[in-house]
Parts: sequence; C-alpha cells; structure tokens
Amino acid sequence: MNDEIKVAIVGQPNVGKSSIINALSNAKLHVGNFSGVTVEKKEVFLKRDIFDIKMTDLPGIYALNAYTPEEQVAKDFLLNEDYDIVVNVVDANTLSRNLIFTMQLLDMHKKTILVINMVDEIEKKGGSIDKSKIEELLGIPVILTSAKENRGVEEIISQIIKLHKTPLAKNKIFYNEKIEERIERLAKILRKSPHFKSNDVSRFMAIRLLDRDEDVYKMIHDLPIFIEAHNALEKMYKDLELEFDEESTTDILANERAAISYNLQMETIDLDEEEESLSEKLDNFLIHPVFGLPIFLFFMWTLFQLTFVLGNYPMNVIDAIFSETSSFLADFLPKGIFNSVLTEGVLPAVGAIVMFLPNILILFLGLNLLEQTGYMSRASYLMDGFLKRFGLQGKAFVPLVSGFGCTVPAYMAARTLKNPKDRIITMLVLGFMSCGARLPIYVLLVSAFFANHNPGNMLFFIYIGGAFLGLIVAKILRTVLFRGEPEPFVMEMPPYRFPSFKALAMDLWIKTKMFLKKAGTFIAIAAMAIWFLSSYPVDNKLVQNYHAKIEQTTNISKKQNLENELKAKLLEDSYLGSVGKFIQPVFAPLGFDWRLSIAVVTGLSAKEVVVSTLGTLYAMSGADETSKGLVSKMRQNVDFKAAVALIIIIMIYSPCLAAMGTFYAEVPQWAWRTFYTIYPNVVAWLLAFGVYKVLALMGY
Amino acid sequence: MKRISDLEIDEEAIVTKIFAKEPVKGRLLSMGIVKGAKVKVIAHTLARQTWDILSNNTKVALRDEEASSIEVKSIYE
Ligand SMILES: Nc1nc2c(ncn2[C@@H]2O[C@H](COP(=O)(O)OP(=O)(O)O)[C@@H](O)[C@H]2O)c(=O)[nH]1
Repeated sequence: MNDEIKVAIVGQPNVGKSSIINALSNAKLHVGNFSGVTVEKKEVFLKRDIFDIKMTDLPGIYALNAYTPEEQVAKDFLLNEDYDIVVNVVDANTLSRNLIFTMQLLDMHKKTILVINMVDEIEKKGGSIDKSKIEELLGIPVILTSAKENRGVEEIISQIIKLHKTPLAKNKIFYNEKIEERIERLAKILRKSPHFKSNDVSRFMAIRLLDRDEDVYKMIHDLPIFIEAHNALEKMYKDLELEFDEESTTDILANERAAISYNLQMETIDLDEEEESLSEKLDNFLIHPVFGLPIFLFFMWTLFQLTFVLGNYPMNVIDAIFSETSSFLADFLPKGIFNSVLTEGVLPAVGAIVMFLPNILILFLGLNLLEQTGYMSRASYLMDGFLKRFGLQGKAFVPLVSGFGCTVPAYMAARTLKNPKDRIITMLVLGFMSCGARLPIYVLLVSAFFANHNPGNMLFFIYIGGAFLGLIVAKILRTVLFRGEPEPFVMEMPPYRFPSFKALAMDLWIKTKMFLKKAGTFIAIAAMAIWFLSSYPVDNKLVQNYHAKIEQTTNISKKQNLENELKAKLLEDSYLGSVGKFIQPVFAPLGFDWRLSIAVVTGLSAKEVVVSTLGTLYAMSGADETSKGLVSKMRQNVDFKAAVALIIIIMIYSPCLAAMGTFYAEVPQWAWRTFYTIYPNVVAWLLAFGVYKVLALMGY
Repeated sequence: MKRISDLEIDEEAIVTKIFAKEPVKGRLLSMGIVKGAKVKVIAHTLARQTWDILSNNTKVALRDEEASSIEVKSIYE
C-alpha cells in the first residue's frame, strides 16, 4: 500500500497555477466539480517513489474573506477538508500583495510550501529574489519557479515528499503583541470546547474570529462556549479598534499583514522598477480615454471578419469531402435502409455541422487570445461605464463575451459577479449573445439571403444587434424587477502576457474533440431520428400511383417533377411532417413552413441540429437536381421575410438544453427558472413577427 | 482631503483612509490597496467613470464610487 499525500494548491487568480499543473510531468489530470456546486475541480494524481500524491487545484482566491462563490469554495475546502500539505503559489511580480494571503494561510499552521512563480519576469527586469531569506522569515520551504520556462516545477513534488516526512515546523508569523495577547486569550476560551483542542486550531480560529470571519463565527455559534467567546470577542473588538484607531479589527489585521508582507518583499526582492514597463506602454494606447473603445470595437470586428473569411476555405473542402463520401457510399453500399439512413440522414447532417468547425475554432481561438493576453480585463474596464448604463457592470463583460463562444461556460463565468441581482440579470440576457453553435445557421442564412452583402459585416451586425438587444432587456429587467445600484466594481488587471501557444493549442484541441464527439454522437443520433421520422410511414398506394405515372411519361423533366412531387408528398405525410404541421400554426404568422418550424423546435436540443435538420429536410425535398447544396435549396424554398424572421428567432429564443441545464444548476429559484424558460421565446416570437410585418409592408 | 477620484493621470499619492464598506473594502485590501500604500493613477475613462490604479505592481480597475471612497495624501507630505 502506497503512502498517500493529499495536497491543496491555492493561490490568487492569474499567478500561473494552471500553468504549473500543466507543466507537471507524468501527472494524471481529472476534471470534475466540487460536490454540490458547479465550480470546476481539477485533481492531479502523481506517483513518486512509494507515494501517491493527490493534488487538488482550488479556485483562485484573493483572501480568506471570501468574496465570490468560487472563493467560498476554496475557503470551505481549506477550512473543512482533509489535506496534508498546502502549496501556495504566488506571483513574484506582486509578491507583497500575494503574501497578504499567504499570511492568512500561515495562520492555519499547516505544512505549507511557498511557490514563487514567474521568476523569469523578475530576472528579465534584472532583479533577483533571496529565496533563503524568505524561507527564514516565513519559516517554510520556498521554491522559485517559472512555469513558462518549465523551471522548478518538479522541485515542488520533491519538496512535497520531503515536507511530508519532516515534522511540522514552528510558526514564525506573529502579529503585534496587543493582538497576540487577544489571540491567546480567545484561543484559551475556544480550547474549552473539544472541537478546538489543539493549539494550532484554536489559534487559527481565534485569528479568524478577530478577523470577523462570519463562517467561523457560525461554527462556534452552537457551542456551549459561545456566550463566553462572544462576550470576550465583543470587548476585544471594541478595545482593539480604540487602541489602533481603526474602524474594524479586520482592518487592523489587514494592515498588520500588509506591513509584514511589504517589509518582506523589500528585504528579499532586489529590483528597481522606475522605468515604464511594456504593459504600461501598451495600456497608454489600449485603454486610452478616447481611442480605447474604438480600438476594442475594431478588435471585435476583426475577429468576426476572420471567423468568416478564414473559416470559409476549409469549409468548402469539408463540404466537398462529405458530399463526395455520401454519393460514393450511396452507390457502393447495397441499397436499403442502412444505405439511406447513412447517406441521406446521418452523413449530410453531420457534414453540415462539421463544416462549421473551422469558424467555431477561429472564434474560440480569438476569445482565448483575448483572455490569455490579459486584454479581456481591459475590455471590461473600457466597457464598465457603458454597461453601467444598462444596469450591468464591467465584469459582466467577460461572461457576455464568453457567451459568443458558448453559453454554458458563460453562465459559469457569471459567478464572478458577487451580487445575486447582477448575476441573475447577466445570466438572463446571456442568451442574446449568439453562441458559436448558432454561427452555422447565420452563415447559412446570410449566404442564402444576403448574397450580395459582405457576409462578415452581416454577421457582425447580427452579433452586435443581438448583444444590443440583450443590453436593452437588461435595462428593462433592472428597472422593472430590481431597483438599486449594481454591485461595486473592483477588478485586477493582470499585466499583458505573451500567450502560451501550448495552452492555446491544448484548448483548441479539447474544443475540437468535444465538438466532433458531439457531432458524431448526439447530432448523428438526432439526425438519424429525424431521418426516420421523416421517412415513415410510407403510403404504398401513393408510391404505386406515382410510379405508374412516372412510367407512363416519356418526358425526362416531367419524370423528374413527378418524382419530386412524390418525395414532397411522402415527406409531408411522414411523422415529422405531421409534427411540423401540428406546430406550424405557431410559426405560420412568421411565414415558416413546417420544415422551418421543425428545425426551430429541434434547435432547442442543440443549435447545431437546426442546420442538420434543414439539411435532411431540404435534401429530401429534392428541390432541383441542378442546384446542389443547401444554400440554393433554402433560397428556393424560403422567402426573404421568413428568413429574416428565422434569424431573429435564432438570435433570441432559448439556448440549447445543455445551457438551460447549466442555468438551472446555477439558479436554484423556481421563479427565475420559469421566467428564464418562457420569456426569451415570447420575446423572440413577438420581435420576429414585428419584423416580418414591417418587411411585408415594405414590399419584400 | 483628496480622494483618488480627484487625482490626474500619472499622479501618485499615499492611501490614508478607505471609506468603502465591506466587502468592497476587504477586496481592496487584498489587492494591496491598504493604508500607507502608494497608488498611481494609470488611466481613467473619458467620463472619469472607471479608473485604473497601480498599487505595488498590481493594476486595479475601480469605479468612480470606489475611487472616491479612498482618501489619499500627496507623496511629499
Ligand atoms: N512569464 C511567465 N508567465 C507565466 C508563468 N506562469 C504562467 N504564466 C502566464 O500567466 C498567465 C496566467 O497563468 P494561469 O496558469 O492561467 O494562471 P492561474 O489563473 O493561476 O491558473 C498566463 O498567460 C500564463 O501563460 C511564468 O512562470 N512566467
């Protein structure tokens, strides 16, 4: 039986924690969720010598005074879970700020390793860090690393093993004696309770209580010692606040920690930093009061242009591959049901989706780049004043932009909003940010109906139009449902960094895999179902009738017409046709035929299915043999007004099941869930109807 | 007394008091904006609604409301 070492990896956001984990060799990564909440939990498993090391990567946390739900998860883990060693990752560039949190961790007096990352950046600036001095002052082992250059990362593992074998060292961090005296007195009271028998635990709890930690206060609330502790605490608060002339003991402790950290940095880092860093020079442009916003809009515009223009090349190739394969297999395989399912149902549908993989990847790559380089937080900064007017805040920008990629992670990104009202409003309008899966539908419709416009511009317009609508809805929600100012805005703006190509490539690879898996399973199955529903039942009499008619005519084009008529009739009488006809009245005012109606409804399962459904339905309607491709078939079968109405429906109506599931998981209140499930569809229909009518008046 | 919102771009100052209430205050503290810390205004938006503050190598974006809740004094005092 191997010896297991449980390690908790903690650190403030952006210190390079994920990069360090990625750099560990021979590690097995497991991604899941923390129990009960939808915060991503990364666990890393390693084997070294006789040790099984299990590392849990906690969400980025600025301080134990938790602020966001993610920080709460990290804090709960630190306070309540069972682990042997804490690995605290900090950023060498902002050491003193990071150390403020390290002090809070050291209060726990657990075995701790301090990992100072990004030393390459300090070295580049000509600075140096006195590692042994920090070890001496803090009384814990220190490792200097650069995840970027893969330096020092393996040392973390050997240090974990070494530390595991040695007994816990003495605590070296002490506060002002006036505070220490109170800590000791409070700890003594706590020790009367069997929960806090150990000196370390009682000291830590005493510090947390003096820090006015509500979670810890709740812990002691039901204990017999509560009254005594509470009374002592109240007096300590009062006395200390008077002695230090501060509003709250929290501030006193914060000031203490800040002072210790600052001195520690001064003593151990040798760096004079007077010259303007590259980051600052860049910021002179990128967040310029006047040019910042136009530059940002230009970036977004470029991204959408690239998505369309670059994505177009591989798209044609993929399309050709799939249609060639289909027709080859149709001839090669024996005729029959299997042949038809595959070549008429599954392959065209999957092909219609895979075709858009390049577009989606380019969009994701762009969003990732913005995130990794640090520009995303600048965009939040630039957008805050604007978003505030719509009752949102700058930080909402990140989930909103992620919404252009995929609504599911966007709902999760909304967690950074602490205020529940801000969060729910942001989440309610996230669906207006058209996700990557809706891109294929737009591309299809734009190519079919706006052929003589610049497609990149049209796409940009659709995306921006959707976003703008979302903002208006946000404003309405804010004024109708909630009054009150949005949450305060305090956000770190990390320095600009050159993106890591490995991380970008890795992310794209994961996205590609997931996308292809979805196309190969879920969408293929959906396509198969739609094919069956649209091929059965077969009215044999009708078929015989038509075949007889076809036999009789000698005119080739008449033959063709009859065949198409038959196909169309069969399709109409199929199960799918019946369903379509059943729901069609709802969509009839928008000019949708039953095929479009079906496509819209199937789109609720996943937006990719809309295009594949259209692919199947129109492929079988056999419009005109000479016109290949879905685009021209759509053009022949759908009128312009209905196409515009369809674009509007797609822009606004409920996102896919996965997204809805995520929303349900994030929002426990049934009232909100119900509202969320109904209102986008109503808004979508009304708006589509309005536009349809206006276009009709204009004579389209 | 001056507040951060009274500073100009590139102006430096020392934090003397933070009037913001919890939990904003705690967040400011954990970003290194504490009493005695040196801050520098890097940028603000055109309408002076959002501020970019540098403190001890960390850049923090604040809204006007938070910027005006931080009291500062000149670095020469
Ligand atoms: N120069 C340098 N950059 C790093 C280092 N470690 C991480 N980064 C970069 O810092 C940014 C944040 O890293 P990430 O791992 O996402 O941070 P996390 O939020 O702590 O997980 C990314 O752009 C990384 O490429 C390092 O040691 N040196």
